[in-house]
Amino acid sequence: MTATLTTCPYCGTGCNFYLKADKTGRVTGVEPAGKHPTSRGQLCIKGWNAHAFVDHPERLTTPQIRQRGQLNAAGWETALDLVHEKLQGIAEKYGPDSLMFLSSAKVSNEENYLLMKLARAGFGTNNIDHCARLCHSSTVTGLVETLGSGAMTNSLSCFDETELIFVIGSNTTEQHPLIGSRILQAVQRGAKLIVADSRRIRLAKQADLHLRQQNGSDVALLNGMMRQILQDGLEDREFIASRTEGFSALEQSLDPFTPEHVSKITGLMPNQIVDAARLFGKTDKAMIVYAMGITQHSHGVDNVRAVSNLALLTGNLGRPGTGVNPLRGQNNVQGACDMGALPDVYSGYQKVADPVVREKFSKAWGCNLPESPGLMSTHAIEAAVEGKIRGMLILGENPMLSDANQAQVKQALENLDFLAVIDIFPTETAQLADVILPAACYAERDGTFTSTERRVQHGRKAVDPPGEAQADWQIVCQLLQRCGLQSDYADPAEIMTEIASLTPSYGGIAYDRLSDNGLQWPCPTSDHPGTPILHQDQCTRGKGLFSPVDYRPPKELPDADYPLLLNTGRSYFHWHTGSMTRRSHLLDREERSAFVEINPEDAKKYGFVERQQIRISSRRGSISCAAQLTGKVPVGQIFIPFHFAEGAANALTNNALDPESGIPEFKVCAVRIEPC
Amino acid sequence: MLKQLSRSDLEQLLEAVAKNYALQVPQLLADGTRQLGPYDNAELSLSGQPLQRKPTSYFFPQTELLLTLDAAGNVQQPPPAEKPLALFGMDRTDLAALTFLDQFFMAPPADDIYLHRRLNALLIGLTGDAGPDSSFLPLADDGCDIELIAINQKWLALGHSEAGKSLLRKFNDGDDKQLVTLRKASRDQPSDLLQQASQLLHDDLVPDAFWEEIADRCILCSGCNLACPTCSCFCLQDRQTPNGTERSRVWDSCQLDAFMREASGHNPLGTEALRTRRRIHHKLVADVERWGELGCVACGRCDRACPTGIGMFAVAEEMVERFGLRS
Ligand code: SF4
Ligand code: SF4
Ligand code: SF4
Repeated sequence: MTATLTTCPYCGTGCNFYLKADKTGRVTGVEPAGKHPTSRGQLCIKGWNAHAFVDHPERLTTPQIRQRGQLNAAGWETALDLVHEKLQGIAEKYGPDSLMFLSSAKVSNEENYLLMKLARAGFGTNNIDHCARLCHSSTVTGLVETLGSGAMTNSLSCFDETELIFVIGSNTTEQHPLIGSRILQAVQRGAKLIVADSRRIRLAKQADLHLRQQNGSDVALLNGMMRQILQDGLEDREFIASRTEGFSALEQSLDPFTPEHVSKITGLMPNQIVDAARLFGKTDKAMIVYAMGITQHSHGVDNVRAVSNLALLTGNLGRPGTGVNPLRGQNNVQGACDMGALPDVYSGYQKVADPVVREKFSKAWGCNLPESPGLMSTHAIEAAVEGKIRGMLILGENPMLSDANQAQVKQALENLDFLAVIDIFPTETAQLADVILPAACYAERDGTFTSTERRVQHGRKAVDPPGEAQADWQIVCQLLQRCGLQSDYADPAEIMTEIASLTPSYGGIAYDRLSDNGLQWPCPTSDHPGTPILHQDQCTRGKGLFSPVDYRPPKELPDADYPLLLNTGRSYFHWHTGSMTRRSHLLDREERSAFVEINPEDAKKYGFVERQQIRISSRRGSISCAAQLTGKVPVGQIFIPFHFAEGAANALTNNALDPESGIPEFKVCAVRIEPC
Repeated sequence: MLKQLSRSDLEQLLEAVAKNYALQVPQLLADGTRQLGPYDNAELSLSGQPLQRKPTSYFFPQTELLLTLDAAGNVQQPPPAEKPLALFGMDRTDLAALTFLDQFFMAPPADDIYLHRRLNALLIGLTGDAGPDSSFLPLADDGCDIELIAINQKWLALGHSEAGKSLLRKFNDGDDKQLVTLRKASRDQPSDLLQQASQLLHDDLVPDAFWEEIADRCILCSGCNLACPTCSCFCLQDRQTPNGTERSRVWDSCQLDAFMREASGHNPLGTEALRTRRRIHHKLVADVERWGELGCVACGRCDRACPTGIGMFAVAEEMVERFGLRS
């Protein structure tokens, strides 16, 4: 029996646990790390079951190549040669920008770094992105503009000392359970809680105020609260004067957002807005917590700006127990962004358009590098439909279920001349691949992960990968080598040394420094202790910028043909496209198949009963799911989690994109429902 | 039989045990917690926090392959372990929990998978000055083959079983008087919080609204059950593999909706409030009715594992505080 300390592969909270393995090399269980600052001896249900999919018989164990429509087993050399040859061929024929690389928020920092190196140095394109595009791209764009850094400003320990938590668009107890539990504990010790969410989530039951604003009306709500705070004189004048700029423009922009006006847009009562503003404004130390409910809109960046404005207005920044706290979803989505698996930046958010930066990377990697920023993943899908993207390498992502408008994604992937997928299970996306390369999962390789509080920590190998599967970094290295680039890294630690040398915010990160619960970036030098709280004396960009925003409605609202609003998201027991959790017995048993939450009043109107299979259709597709009657969703709204291939919520969702961040409007589209 | 062991005697004893058993000893892990692990590569941690992983997991692990069924219908069970297990370092609550679990799994019809692991296993308890900062842990006085009682950098060794006694035979005798003093110090003075809570539940003095309130604070992590050394519920997992069907058992949790959900969708424990009540009621009332004793050995693991502060002690305390006066 061995016990290997590692980082949870699910959410961005960053819990640590021991993976138990038996003599035969099978993982048999999980024990929470008792003294780790995040887990503190505790885990959520996904963490407690994180061992369960590792030895699932459907793991991919050998490379496969499509021949006459069939996927057949192949040797590594043949498969890797083919991937290289095909991608190279497309780059030569149609130009490097006809390729797209999708990296993964599930793989390590080192692996993300190598894949972005492969795209940029190996194939000469900045067309690299990953699923942060679908979750927090709005945050990165919005907060970089207003504060200078797109990450969670504070630390999880701040929940233990804050006086008020304002949760807007985050179902924290389900999606970041061990952060949700800290919020519940904070309420127990007397902290105030405001929840703004159209659904009656668990936190709402404990909230001092629950605001059930219409999906997509957050800008109006936040502007309304800010206007009221100014009316009541509750703003932090000293902070505004010394730490911010652009205040008068903000002040003017808020004028129209009277409680009555906001009430019309949000569906709230005017006094609810006033109450929320007063409760928030009167508190000295308040944390704003948000997630996809803010970001996944065609005005996602505006939502983020409004959140940031509220924090600046009330001086809730740069101190313990305060801050703008976007909760990052995947266990390494923060790291994948940090590593530059994004079309416009190298690691550490260094812009590809900046010639000095480019020169630095070009020198380090020994090759010329492309100048113009690449395509966002959501635009790459559109480009593939148009035939402008012809080859794609997807590392550990499943856009067939995770991206908006599944029909379009399918068309895009089928339209490609060549698709290679690296993954651990035969996902819906892998089924469409020309080459599949089997990867090691988190339990089978070393690497670092960066949690939502910017904590860089170890993931450690507990057991060997199944069959011929290899660690992603080893796979990417072999492709780098085929591109004639340096690729002889002995181990992930050596890759981190290269990352640190090129990335100022990771400059002091080294494997031997991470053993004690990791380090929080920025950590610029080898003697720097890390940074639990950002923007303490000044913001990363200098002054905090007020960035006024106006309310823009969602792109597609219910109408006579499609009278209901569809909200999508995740459930507690499953993870994203279900490739791991649906193969974990206890999690799968809890929620076995696709379901739709519908308010009992609506169900009555349509004559639906509990568990009845119903058809849900939007302008883009149609699926069927079992009805779950619940007051969790308001009348006029239904909610479908996107985990289930057989009732894929994203067959319905609208791929209307935010013009700046390219994020789709997952949280609002119009649907109709009928009996099956 | 009472012996006294020096540090080198202790090492000799463990060496002798390791010859015939797969010996697991307490170790300090990288995150600062203590757990049992294989003897070979271990530095002993002879005092400190309670063991993080419940030691009962050696006999009833989180996932356990029960059998493989091939296409021809042949059933194959995993080969038996080469050596029986020996666990060193369990405190009084750990031992009490194992005794409790033994009752459950060995009640007819005995669970032979459990039985095989448990039957020839050797247990060496560790009590006395073995707590955090060498604080005193009460004696177990039963439930193991050997009990080592730490005192002044030495260990009094009590042989309870024949196997234990014969392993101890060659060591020097211990001082009976010392033992008497230690026994006195161990005499139960724990608060009767759990007993009071048990009585309240038994007398049905805790209203449903209380359970709704507690359940609203539960995030369904299942940790309270999985961490608990007396929880014995498991479910079956079948997987199709190239070698046939693998049937395993997996720790289950009564906090989950699907724990009792029927195929029709009907669920006799269909609300979180009912399930939360059951978690406490089962240990404090149902177990007493079935086994004549509380199903909680007061190890504290569920309180540590619960992310929202509603483990056994927290709930019992709240219950007694709010409803205790009425009884
Ligand atoms: S809260 Fe997140 S990181 Fe922690 S155990 Fe659950 S899924 Fe894993
Ligand atoms: S304290 Fe909790 S974990 Fe320990 S035996 Fe009692 S119920 Fe189980
Ligand atoms: S440990 Fe706490 S939160 Fe988790 S299931 Fe048990 S009672 Fe609920």
